[in-house]
Amino acid sequence: MSLIYCRTFIFLFLIGILNISASELPKGPNDKPDLNGVWQVLNTANYNLEAHSASAAMDLVVGPVVPIPHPSILALGAVGAVPAGLSVVEGGIIPYKKEALKKRNENKEDWLQLDPEIKCYLPGVPRATYMPYPFQIFHSEKAVFFAYEYAGAVRNIYLEDQGEAPIDSWMGQSWGYWEGNTFVVEASGFNDQTWFDRSGNFHSDKLQVTERFTLLNNHTMNYQAIIKDEEVFTKPWKINMTLYKRIGKDAQLQQFKCVEFVEELLYGKWRAK
Amino acid sequence: MNKSFFIAIIAILLASNIGAEEGWSNSKTWFGDPDLQGTWTNASLTSLERPDSYETLAVTDQDAKIAIKVSNEFVESVDNPYEEGESPQAGDNVGGYNVAWMDPGTELFKIDGKYRSSILTYPEDGKLPRRYIRWGLEGYGIYKMFAVADHPEERTLGERCLVGFGSSGGPPMLNVLYNNHYQIVQSPGYVMILVEMNHDARIIRLESNHNPNNMKPWLGDSIGTWEGNTLVVRTKNHHPQQKFRAGIRHQILIMEEAEITEKFTRINEKEILYQFEVNDDKAYKDTWRGEMPLRAADGEIYEYACHEGNYAMANILAGARAEERK
Amino acid sequence: MAGFLYSEPYITAKTWFGDPDLQGTWTNSTLTTLERPSNFKTLIVSEQQAKTAALIASKGNDVYDNYLKEGETPKKGQDVGGYNTAWMDPGTKLLKIENEYRSSIIISPKNGKLPWDAKKRREYFSKDARRKFKRTDHPELRGVGERCVVGFGSSGGPPMMNVLYNNNYQIVQSQGYVLIMAEMIHDSRIIRLEGSHLPQLMDPWMGDSIGRWEGDTLVVETTNFNWQHVHRAALRHYFAISKNAKITELFKRISDTEILYRFRVDDPSLYKSAWVGEMPLRAQSDKIYEYACHEGNYAMANILAGARAEGK
Repeated sequence: MSLIYCRTFIFLFLIGILNISASELPKGPNDKPDLNGVWQVLNTANYNLEAHSASAAMDLVVGPVVPIPHPSILALGAVGAVPAGLSVVEGGIIPYKKEALKKRNENKEDWLQLDPEIKCYLPGVPRATYMPYPFQIFHSEKAVFFAYEYAGAVRNIYLEDQGEAPIDSWMGQSWGYWEGNTFVVEASGFNDQTWFDRSGNFHSDKLQVTERFTLLNNHTMNYQAIIKDEEVFTKPWKINMTLYKRIGKDAQLQQFKCVEFVEELLYGKWRAK
Repeated sequence: MNKSFFIAIIAILLASNIGAEEGWSNSKTWFGDPDLQGTWTNASLTSLERPDSYETLAVTDQDAKIAIKVSNEFVESVDNPYEEGESPQAGDNVGGYNVAWMDPGTELFKIDGKYRSSILTYPEDGKLPRRYIRWGLEGYGIYKMFAVADHPEERTLGERCLVGFGSSGGPPMLNVLYNNHYQIVQSPGYVMILVEMNHDARIIRLESNHNPNNMKPWLGDSIGTWEGNTLVVRTKNHHPQQKFRAGIRHQILIMEEAEITEKFTRINEKEILYQFEVNDDKAYKDTWRGEMPLRAADGEIYEYACHEGNYAMANILAGARAEERK
Repeated sequence: MAGFLYSEPYITAKTWFGDPDLQGTWTNSTLTTLERPSNFKTLIVSEQQAKTAALIASKGNDVYDNYLKEGETPKKGQDVGGYNTAWMDPGTKLLKIENEYRSSIIISPKNGKLPWDAKKRREYFSKDARRKFKRTDHPELRGVGERCVVGFGSSGGPPMMNVLYNNNYQIVQSQGYVLIMAEMIHDSRIIRLEGSHLPQLMDPWMGDSIGRWEGDTLVVETTNFNWQHVHRAALRHYFAISKNAKITELFKRISDTEILYRFRVDDPSLYKSAWVGEMPLRAQSDKIYEYACHEGNYAMANILAGARAEGK
């Protein structure tokens, strides 16, 4: 009998500890975990979701001995080089269909011409999350809104399912709901113009993304995205990474409206002589 | 407790409802700030400056009806410039958007139950107190925006897809030909105003300081405080390329050093009273002030992916180069 | 590889979180070379032999530093020379383990020589894309030291070898990690304790190291070697490590001032059998200077430009 009491006590004690841990999460509206803040990843997923060694550039051409940076990148030196990173894809590899994998590799070969990030186009989902720029979540009882520093991209997460998107868009249409302490976002209605990273990983306009934002404590959040696109992949696949809250006086979302920075790139050839 | 104390309490309660309609009491956000959240529009037939056909700020219902009639006639002419079967002649203006794409407003807006002939409330004549010398100095640059296509940086902000034309994003936030929507979301320490054009998020930092003067972001640097139920936003350090802001019905200059104050007061469930004051000594002889309602909008805001679909810029420049070769 | 057996067991102090403490600044400079020179017939040599070796080395330094008489200058075409020995750190005596001088770092094979498999070596190198070039054609063909990518001669390892200079290492430990900073080229080997190796496609310089404690001995396994780091050449040794190699290192503190460092190279792409070496890392009281090789690398530009000037 005393063993049963002992076990019961231990069980209740553990429950108590878990409850204490959950209650340490900062509280937001409707008593849900507070997602507010300026957030940023600290990984290299935007270079390549899959594992990658460091290399001289995103776009390499045949060199006399080893591949060398494309002439357009050469002058950047180490600034244009690529850091190494582990895969953020569960299972390591993105499960492309055979033809789609060919297209991914073609994309990668022609990165300079094809990556929408270079032209400052809207980044799409989930790429917006792991760009090397922060974003700010405005989490109120009426709305959950993401303002991204990169290109001033925005996402208003509807709090009710709006049904099918009336039109395709770069950032898609998202609606969100809570599952316990996790904010789940269902996004769809994407066009096929965005990439998942700089390595040519892409999707069709049938893309659907389910994102899960789980606050771990006041400073970190777990981010998972489940990607479904029957035209491109053999099955749905997941990515996982951590979001870190920026703190301190300089934790302020700045402006990176890069459209003006690419005017020379896009229109320079039509300047008056 | 004495009578004076109760009077003081009542006075405070009344004061906090200044501008609010009778019977309206401000709801609060989950963290206790007055709630301005929602999707809003400032589309209306009322223009920034008072047209010469109006003599006063407040106008009659009859005047308002006439304004609607004139607007409808204009809209009809835009959508039906040709007879059945007729088409443009070579060299004719091929036209632009159908009215279906526009959102110029359907009537003059009302404040305190009265239609308004201008957004401007000061100067009292409803006209901008321009320093014409400044306009002269900026004139060549402005001329080039419309008449010359040498370089993309010299074209208008709207064509460049940098920010919405006509000060749509502000400050001050003005109504333009289309996409007159704003979404306001609040969180502790912040008020975020999403401007439909060009999907710009104005992030107003509450109880904060301005950033250093060498940081001049697009839409300026805004900080805010609450005065009772009114959000007071102060903006300075405007982007040097954002000086000239033109819509069909207004053209303004906002110099880098201008100081702009905006006030947002929710006056009922479906309206925010939006007031602004512009102090810009370089471009104007005097302060100018205006007000308009932001009205609750139906539906959600579409994505405004201007840059991603910007065929126009390439074509404008390429066209100019083709003309030069003739 | 057998563990360490010593006559006088040493009780290693612990770090603040309870791991055996290997921390400090260490040197592996010594006159003992990787392979056994032909004048030595056995691994263990006598005190007299050791003294002779030290004397020869010392005299050699004198000759090197003073090869020109007073007022004499190099003749045209003569080697202009390089560093004075003041810049060098070749060691002053043979290494000692358990009070015995050693003639080679290699302890297995017993002959103290590298067990090359000539056929496999030819086959491996024949696939190296660099073979078709002259060494002055391109920067990628120069040695890793001239390129300033990692220290020459396997200074940073693994295995970590003694070379002409900069034979210093700093070890710092924190929970779950052992850091070995090799002086050349300020390279931090971060050994992940109880970790897993990176995917095969990732091949960092110095390979990918994971470690575990066996008692007071740190056991480190390294794989995923970079294909460009195959040649490990110094004045006194040359060996090769293919990208398929696995290297196991043992670090055990044997006194306040010494760590015994033993390594085993398993590389069937190049060798007939595994080979094992050991040497002490001796405590250094000095601090390590910055080694900003690339930032001062005039040599590479001059080597290539010189070759171009000569019409090569």
